[in-house]
Amino acid sequence: MNNRKKNLLDGVLGGNIVLSGLMVISPVIICGDNLKNAEALIYAFSAITFLSVLICSFVPKKLPYAAKVIIYAIISSLVYIPVKLAAQEFYPESIARIGMYYPLLAVNSLIVFQTEAKFFRMKRAEMAVSLIFYILGFDLVMLLTGFLRELFAYGTINSKIVDVNTLISGLSQPFGGFIFLGLMCGAYRAIRAAVSKKEAGRDTDVSDK
Amino acid sequence: MFLINELIALLAANLILSQALGTSTIFIAAGSRKNLVATAGVITIFTTVGAAAAYLIDSLMPSDISDLRLLFYTLVVGALYVLLLTVAFFVSGSFFEGFRKYIHVSAFNCAVMGTLFTINTRASEQGPSFGFGNYIAGGFEAGIGFILASLILTAAYKKLNSSKVPAAFRGFPAMLVYLGIISMAVYSLK
Repeated sequence: MNNRKKNLLDGVLGGNIVLSGLMVISPVIICGDNLKNAEALIYAFSAITFLSVLICSFVPKKLPYAAKVIIYAIISSLVYIPVKLAAQEFYPESIARIGMYYPLLAVNSLIVFQTEAKFFRMKRAEMAVSLIFYILGFDLVMLLTGFLRELFAYGTINSKIVDVNTLISGLSQPFGGFIFLGLMCGAYRAIRAAVSKKEAGRDTDVSDK
Repeated sequence: MFLINELIALLAANLILSQALGTSTIFIAAGSRKNLVATAGVITIFTTVGAAAAYLIDSLMPSDISDLRLLFYTLVVGALYVLLLTVAFFVSGSFFEGFRKYIHVSAFNCAVMGTLFTINTRASEQGPSFGFGNYIAGGFEAGIGFILASLILTAAYKKLNSSKVPAAFRGFPAMLVYLGIISMAVYSLK
């Protein structure tokens, strides 16, 4: 895989914002205990982040850092309004369950800080593709967390009862979210280290030839 | 006994341990004593002064435009952000250079915004009896809660980052599991 392609895919695997960057973890810990919440959060995060970062990329780069951060936060707060109004149509129950974590998605670090450090150093088209992969990275973690926590905490998948012998009700609680995410981060790092080791070994083999 | 009761109440209502707000920021704060003091101090200023401004917003804003609340809170935090940077700049050049990163980290994060929304939820549950003093007390309490959670994490920070912890779990994953265990203990106090 060439470097450019690798950089673009970085958001899903190598540089996952939740598992590697530990960004936007509060909604994952508190609201990611079932698939319905996960689905609503995925919609909100994807829509708010994509639109906000895209609009923010038009903010003049010459402005002082603090001014740009404030403008980014204001833009995402404005983008949040139509996204929430649309969510009231599609996910009316989830909004009440997610509560204040919904507006908090709008001031996430990916929009407010990472835009400056990562995205705005790229060309706009490349940035949009990379951003989609970063968003997909969050979506994937959210979906996996929602699925596994719902399965083992409530014994259901998308509110449908399934046959699970052992239920761990604590997984639905905030402390369960912390521990689950910690274990997931550890597993992710172990897999990433194993893959890098394998790749390094393959590179050495090639150079030896 | 009073102090123990207050400590238990503070832990039970802790924004980090019970609501996971500002978890990423606490990892920065727990890194060193300097980081802890500076980040916790700035967060406390943001939550306390921000809560006072949130009182004005909540009392003046009609309920049919409540979706604009985030925008107003953002404007308040933004104004406070600029104010703190300006104050730090006029204190001294070296102070500004050393201190501004803590202001940048603390301004727009879940700990500050989450506090304002939590207080707003409490106010709407309790009605008009929840006044200006309660807003400020709520903001200050959140800041103290942040300091308390940071201290708990600082106590184990070195061990969680030591070579005795398996490489994959060293650092953030171990800290998340540790916070989960503390959160479980706090949950039992409720």
